[in-house]
Amino acid sequence: MNRRELIQMIAVVTGGVVIGGEFLVAGCKSPDAGPGMTFTENDIAFLDEVAETIFPKTTSVGAKEAKVGQYMTVMVNDCYDEQDQKAFHTGMKTLDDACQKMHGHGFMKATPEQRKALLVSLDTEAKEYGKKKSEFDKVENEKEKTQNANANATKYEKQRMDNHYFTQMKQLTIAGYFTSKEGRQSATRYEPVPGKYIGDYDYKKGDKIFTSLS
Amino acid sequence: MADNNTFDAIVVGSGISGGWAAKELTQRGLKTIMLERGGELVHIKDYEKSNRPVWEYPHRGGRTQQMIEDYPKLKRDYPLNERNLHYWASDKDCPYTETKRFDWFRGYHMGGRSLMWGRQSYRWCEEDFLANEKEGIATPWPINYNDIKDWYTHVEKFAGIQGSYENLAVLPDSHFLPAMDLNIVEKDVAARIKAHYKNQRTLIIGRTAHVTAPIPESPERNKCQYRDMCWNGCPYGAYFSTQSSTLPAAMKTGLLTVRPDAIVKEVIYDKETKKAKGVRIVDALTNEVKEYYAKVVFLCASAFNSTWVLMNSATDIWPDGLGSSSGELGHNAMDHHFRVGAGGEIEGYEDKYYFGHRPTGFYIPRFRNFAGDKRDYIRGFGYQGAASRNGWGREVKELSIGAELKDALSEPGDWRIGATAFGEMLPYHDNTIKLNKDVKDKWGLPVLDMNVEIKDNEKKMRVDMKEDLKEMFEAAGVKNVNTFESDYAPGMGIHEMGTARMGRDAKNSVLNGNNQVWDCKNVFVTDGACMTSASCVNPSLTYMALTARAAAFAVDELKKGNL
Repeated sequence: MNRRELIQMIAVVTGGVVIGGEFLVAGCKSPDAGPGMTFTENDIAFLDEVAETIFPKTTSVGAKEAKVGQYMTVMVNDCYDEQDQKAFHTGMKTLDDACQKMHGHGFMKATPEQRKALLVSLDTEAKEYGKKKSEFDKVENEKEKTQNANANATKYEKQRMDNHYFTQMKQLTIAGYFTSKEGRQSATRYEPVPGKYIGDYDYKKGDKIFTSLS
Repeated sequence: MADNNTFDAIVVGSGISGGWAAKELTQRGLKTIMLERGGELVHIKDYEKSNRPVWEYPHRGGRTQQMIEDYPKLKRDYPLNERNLHYWASDKDCPYTETKRFDWFRGYHMGGRSLMWGRQSYRWCEEDFLANEKEGIATPWPINYNDIKDWYTHVEKFAGIQGSYENLAVLPDSHFLPAMDLNIVEKDVAARIKAHYKNQRTLIIGRTAHVTAPIPESPERNKCQYRDMCWNGCPYGAYFSTQSSTLPAAMKTGLLTVRPDAIVKEVIYDKETKKAKGVRIVDALTNEVKEYYAKVVFLCASAFNSTWVLMNSATDIWPDGLGSSSGELGHNAMDHHFRVGAGGEIEGYEDKYYFGHRPTGFYIPRFRNFAGDKRDYIRGFGYQGAASRNGWGREVKELSIGAELKDALSEPGDWRIGATAFGEMLPYHDNTIKLNKDVKDKWGLPVLDMNVEIKDNEKKMRVDMKEDLKEMFEAAGVKNVNTFESDYAPGMGIHEMGTARMGRDAKNSVLNGNNQVWDCKNVFVTDGACMTSASCVNPSLTYMALTARAAAFAVDELKKGNL
């Protein structure tokens, strides 16, 4: 299958939102990092713990071992536009504050159970927020389409609601994990050189997905 | 003139068409030089990313904001990515202008887009060559299916096309290598479509230029390993490219010289003999202007660039360039319009999966306006798609975070099926490209301005492209079928065609039935520029066949003293 068809199909599957892949369609603002838009070693440690809570170590490695914290900072720095960068940076603090509120101390001091309880609640919040956002985006897309159909009208400047920071973190965790060496080699059946194609291959519950080099 | 500048034949461009021209001309005994505007790119050695796993890319293959800024046009679609960015021409060095939006995705390096192509390979059918004449569209083709049939076989035997024998009038069989398999869901959907439409519609394996069994004429190539890495260049030589196929064959003759970094700026036309003497180039690295001389010139620089060379040639005689006397040079630009289709869910098959990463999907050949069908538009479309199990990127609504989510995403999800339609675009006289002398590229050469759009016929067709697939999928038992239609701009198909069309009459076409420029018989144009109409199938196989046919003709004419 051509890559272009694959991207189209992913769009069909997910209704236009490629999980962990919104950078594929992100618009360009400024590549310069504004104030408060850089990451420290502590930030990476913090993001590692967030990622580990989303994807903990089981029979396969956890997100921390797959260096997902580091990955998140690279993607936010280089691939996110300014609006997404701001949402992410602000979000780290919001997450820590929410932990303070729920458990009486910051995320780094929280127990694994406390961390999970917090992130489960944030996941629910982010999903609710996501519904509102997709409604908003739909309306904006329609407005843009209608106005831009008229060649004489000024081009419509589409508004975009911020992405929820936890949606960003969750998407980056999933993508970062499954595209990492450690994650792919322990959580999937990594087949870099299958050598053949079998279109009718037996499967039983519990068998892992096949992944490739790419 | 210096000896090392003089050849029997010059081939401009090293992509699919240029590679074929070089192979056929040298194998028929002509001392040939192949000029490529981009840099050298050596088979296997320069496929530096062909074994690189995703985690070794800093952004895991994605695109950065810096890339988006550097490639304002490439960013419009999938070619802007971290994996094979170096295979796509730079928007900054090689700009073009747009009276109407046109997405022009080019490969300026040895091998051109033969390295990045989709590899889908289909013959045209008889109807494709007849339609213009029957319907009074544009101008009739000067050749028919029978003129090219044996040339299809000739190129297929060497290029290696895997596919299944189907005996369909709308999609003639090629000389095939063993077909790749449809997966179990695709097979069942195919059977249901066939039964529901009483054999009038079919779903078959997508035919591609991949080696699935040894090719005696091309022993260097190895079988496809199903790695899902085609776009980086294949170290096994499993898919057809200039590097894997035509270039080694041409080099073996000892008659080919390859000259990268040579931007051909014009054909040198001799008023006395009314023939081309050769070509003038700009060295892309030194800006030095140099001339090469030959008895025949093959323009295979990619559709719009071959026309660009003609537009810049012999302007003292024809202000609009060599081949412009008919008024058709630069007109009738085409692409395939697509980005419309449908997808849905497949119930069951939980105990089935597939092994290996197949480099093709399924194909549903055209059924509209064919064999008695009649719509409120003319021509037709085909579909390309696949059925697969959802991967780790899927949404699992019922799960939040934690071990459950991680374990769930480590297993395949439900089956889905989806496809995209590729539709024929008519050749409209006012869909044009022209020189824009106000804008210059890195070498001070004028750029192209694009003025191409889809019109009513294509817009009507797009309704069927969407709705027909929904109906077919539903008839085949697919659940929750969604249709989609994304923005399409001409060029996105990366199937540029036309602008120097073939025809029967010098008054309304640029090339004759042997791809010779009417106004200058020793110049041949055999890439997408020559197309008189577009069909709805992927065009590359037809360029291969037309090029091989024209090369054989050119050598015969040379021998007869006619050129």
